Amino acid sequence: MAAGEFEGGKPLNGLLNALAQETFHGHPGITEELLRSQLYPEVLPEEFRPFLAKMRGILKSIASADMDFNQLEAYLTAQTKKQGGITSDQAAVISKFWKSHKTKIRESLMNQSRWNSGLRGLSWRVDGKSQSRHSAQIHMPVAIIELELGKYGQAGVQWHNLGSPQPPPPGFRQFSCLSLLSSWDYRRAPPCPGI
Amino acid sequence: MEATSEPLLDAKSEVTNQLVDFQWKLGMAVSSDTCRSLKYPYVAVMLKVADHSGQVKTKCFEMTIPQFQNFYRQFKEIAAVIETV
Repeated sequence: MAAGEFEGGKPLNGLLNALAQETFHGHPGITEELLRSQLYPEVLPEEFRPFLAKMRGILKSIASADMDFNQLEAYLTAQTKKQGGITSDQAAVISKFWKSHKTKIRESLMNQSRWNSGLRGLSWRVDGKSQSRHSAQIHMPVAIIELELGKYGQAGVQWHNLGSPQPPPPGFRQFSCLSLLSSWDYRRAPPCPGI
Repeated sequence: MEATSEPLLDAKSEVTNQLVDFQWKLGMAVSSDTCRSLKYPYVAVMLKVADHSGQVKTKCFEMTIPQFQNFYRQFKEIAAVIETV
């Protein structure tokens, strides 16, 4: 494999961008063949494939270790010295790419490792007085909060509406944790400290 | 994440649930199969809400620290407003 075929900063930068989109940001879609034909048209597919794998591996290693700039330089230098490694020009392109995309890639990695729902949005309203069909209680005042929750990678969102009546224990105004439904006579002391 | 529009809510308790419990946890993600060096703190929240029939459901979600700070700021605002009503 002639290293000279893979020279040129711009195609490598494009390649790294595409790899980042696929590996971290969840946007697969660019095929190997498309990448080759767009960025390295002179290179044969059977030569492009190992090159792509090598770049993917390097990028993943850098992101996985969350390398700082010292670690990055040491790592890339080691890569230039090994058999079938990278050229120092390629190392420079990779270094520049990581420095400018590091924050975004880390954010994607953080999102990927969050398996619970995340909080996508929050809206709220305070009502002076409210009453419902199911309860004779008049709640006043009430804070109504709408939470928009969603899991990483899922398009839809779940809306959760919460109301919290202002509990009237004298001299002890807290925001959360009391439920006063007449059909379900349930009263408990607030278990958690006010936020 | 900020308060975008007026929540489309009314007083019907089919729509609005009662907040029954709020638990939180401050965690630190250290490492994962996709990233050996995660190193980020997060706040995990578990809410218990009751609908009009009394059925209690659990909702869990996570926030990054900046998200939590915004969450906290919103609730401080709500607490301030509710005092004035």
